[in-house]
Amino acid sequence: MINLLRRIHPQSLRVIALAVVLALVVIFFSTQIDNYFSPRMLNRIATSAAVILPIAIGQSLVVMTRNVDLSVGSLVGIVAYLIGDFLTTHHGLDPFSTLVLALLLGAFCGAINGALIAYGRVPSIIATLGTLALFRTFLVEYSHARTITADALPSWVVDLPQAVLFSIGSFEVRGMVVAALVAAVIFGFAMSRLRLARKLYAVGSNPDAAVMAGINSARVVFSAFVMSGMLAGLSGLIFLAKFGNITVVAGLGFELKSIAAVVVGGVNIFGGSGTILGVVLGTVLVDTLDNSLTRWAVVSEFWRDALLGLLIMTAVAADTFMARYFTRLRRSKTLAPETAPAQTVEKV
Amino acid sequence: MTAALSDVSWTVAPGEVHAVVGENGAGKSTLIKIITGVHQPDQGEIRVEGAPVVIRNTQAAQALGIAAIFQEPMVFPDLDVAENIFISHRQLGQLMNWRKLYSDADELIDRLGVTLDVRRAASGLTLAEQQTVEIGRALSLNVKVLIMDEPTASLSAHEVDRLMAIVKALKARGVAVIYISHRLDEVFRIADRVTVLRDGKHISTNDVSKVTNVSMVRDMVGRAIDQFAVKTKANDHGEKILAVKGLGRDGVFENVSFDLHRGEVLCFAGLIGSKRTDVGLALFGIDPAQSGTIEISGASHSIKTPQQAMDLGIAYVSEDRRKLGLAMTMPIFANASLAGLKKFLGRLGLIDHKAELAMAEGYRDQLSIRSPNVTIDVGKLSGGNQQKLMLAKWLETKPRILIFDEPTRGVDVGAKAEVHNIIRDLAKKGVAVIVISSDLPEVLALADRILVMREGRQMGIFPIAGATQENIMALATGQTHIEALAS
Repeated sequence: MINLLRRIHPQSLRVIALAVVLALVVIFFSTQIDNYFSPRMLNRIATSAAVILPIAIGQSLVVMTRNVDLSVGSLVGIVAYLIGDFLTTHHGLDPFSTLVLALLLGAFCGAINGALIAYGRVPSIIATLGTLALFRTFLVEYSHARTITADALPSWVVDLPQAVLFSIGSFEVRGMVVAALVAAVIFGFAMSRLRLARKLYAVGSNPDAAVMAGINSARVVFSAFVMSGMLAGLSGLIFLAKFGNITVVAGLGFELKSIAAVVVGGVNIFGGSGTILGVVLGTVLVDTLDNSLTRWAVVSEFWRDALLGLLIMTAVAADTFMARYFTRLRRSKTLAPETAPAQTVEKV
Repeated sequence: MTAALSDVSWTVAPGEVHAVVGENGAGKSTLIKIITGVHQPDQGEIRVEGAPVVIRNTQAAQALGIAAIFQEPMVFPDLDVAENIFISHRQLGQLMNWRKLYSDADELIDRLGVTLDVRRAASGLTLAEQQTVEIGRALSLNVKVLIMDEPTASLSAHEVDRLMAIVKALKARGVAVIYISHRLDEVFRIADRVTVLRDGKHISTNDVSKVTNVSMVRDMVGRAIDQFAVKTKANDHGEKILAVKGLGRDGVFENVSFDLHRGEVLCFAGLIGSKRTDVGLALFGIDPAQSGTIEISGASHSIKTPQQAMDLGIAYVSEDRRKLGLAMTMPIFANASLAGLKKFLGRLGLIDHKAELAMAEGYRDQLSIRSPNVTIDVGKLSGGNQQKLMLAKWLETKPRILIFDEPTRGVDVGAKAEVHNIIRDLAKKGVAVIVISSDLPEVLALADRILVMREGRQMGIFPIAGATQENIMALATGQTHIEALAS
């Protein structure tokens, strides 16, 4: 067993552990909640995860560079509201152009964050705390407390949540869930194959070494925030379609959910490592818990956040513990072979 | 595992200034760390005023009246001078008597024969003034043994004079001073006795009146060189590729000039603080030079960023693997390809993972990096293998000029020999190599020519033929000049 543990890459082990925890959580709630495996429940979890998944992916890119983006909740609100507002007056806009518009709007706001942090040298926690408030205030001012209502939106937006691409048994796979998953697949592939992604890992893993390797780390950090903003744009559009009625509090508190998903998903909070697969599992786990706890009679509404907080702490603690355990495991294993080579090279 | 320090026995008396000298890595720092309780000795004992003591930590050392000040003073920048001096006085109680604090501090500073406003914030003080504060702190704790580790390394000549006066004042007060320095002239100025350490061993302790420059330098370097063959003749090398003239960076180094040819190994020798690394960093565009010219293949270039340097075919294998070299949480292949990543872009700008893996595996075999595969994280490799991986990363950029900074620091003897062979091979293939090294046997084993620096100045540049550890060390400690070598 220990030998097997040694051979698996810690990152894969994290994903496996996460999958096991997710399975345990699902099994547990299935004994507690009637009709847990109903298509309704699954859809509820899937659509709620679909809103968070894009910002969680964006957040993971930012966290990998040793930064954090606290403004994603406000960004989701801005995009959902502004795009909704635009659609009420431009019914003719087709879905694809709407998507592009949402992504561009998000990317623009992300670029403001990125410029402040990468070029203005403002610590990300401060800069995005500022834009979290600024974006939200802008939205409040802009909206004059009006609400976007579903009836004012073009019919394709309102129908989107019900749009079923295909069904697996009685579980219907909704269009917006697929949209979020497509984003995950694209970014998952990009993170392993794109040069920019490699630079992103390098900047987070060892910023000084990255500079030595000729990497423009400011540009890399800037790109991470632009992508985080862009993905928040996607989340905003999914949010708009899912709820139809948009108020100025849209997306409030999503930054914490996205950070929870990222941390639970095994992205190193100190930068440099993490996988998109982990983030997907982390998001699903957080949303499964969130939705299941709402249904679980034993726990009051107020305990939901506490349990979520506990989950985050457990995830981080488990991660630290695992890292230490593996370091020790490696030491005990590698000491012997590493002293040996010194003798074998004496002939050179 | 070799001992960092073994069989060192010596004494220091009240009112004595006892100098400790030795090359980098001679064991001076280890000695201080043991005396101040940072490290515990494996054997031997320490006696203070005749009684054997065990110094478990720095607080225990402080209680025994042992204090140390370092090249870089440790002061609290936001507190003022008086607060810094009395920072570790618990007996002051919970309630501060500010008036007494300032008058006591004033008195202490006075006794050192220095004028310094005790109400000034430490952040505005010069390095020399900060050192004075540290000495004041030690005095306030009734220090009996004061260790000074390279206290003058960053001071100007005038400040050095002042420090010497302070040391004399301490001496007059009966404090035993352990004075560690690379500067032999200071040893003659201030010390009563001098101890030479070499490779962690106690070589000699003598009255200063009985030693000479020559005997001290001989004691410092006179080790048997059995590990590496000394190169006696320079390699044949090709056309000139790099010409550096009058290179300088304000307050760091000045007027460094040299040529470098294809296939040549030029070694930068000197002691810690001689700013050799800074010259390397300037050539690589990390901390660009402010004066002088850099010509590569006859064309003048000003190198401002590492990317520019890489485009010109320069690579820099840094000394600090952890900080500047490798991304420990990334796998071997990703580290190997990081600097030359452009080459692995295939269709659609995607990284060609297969080519990348094949490259990493190629280097693993070529440089014998010991690892089961190239997908494990770099943090798992041993120091020597990390060093070779770092080399792979830079070789992959196909450099024409390769700068090594302390290429074998902290690696075992076997890996060291391997790295040396790799460097020789590269030179043979026509790469122009600069090796910055504090390890004199290494310099003598690798160099075709040697450039010696001391405190940011180029002391001399000469061919390997006729070079010895003694004459390099003499230049590095500022004893003679290049003319003396010719004779």
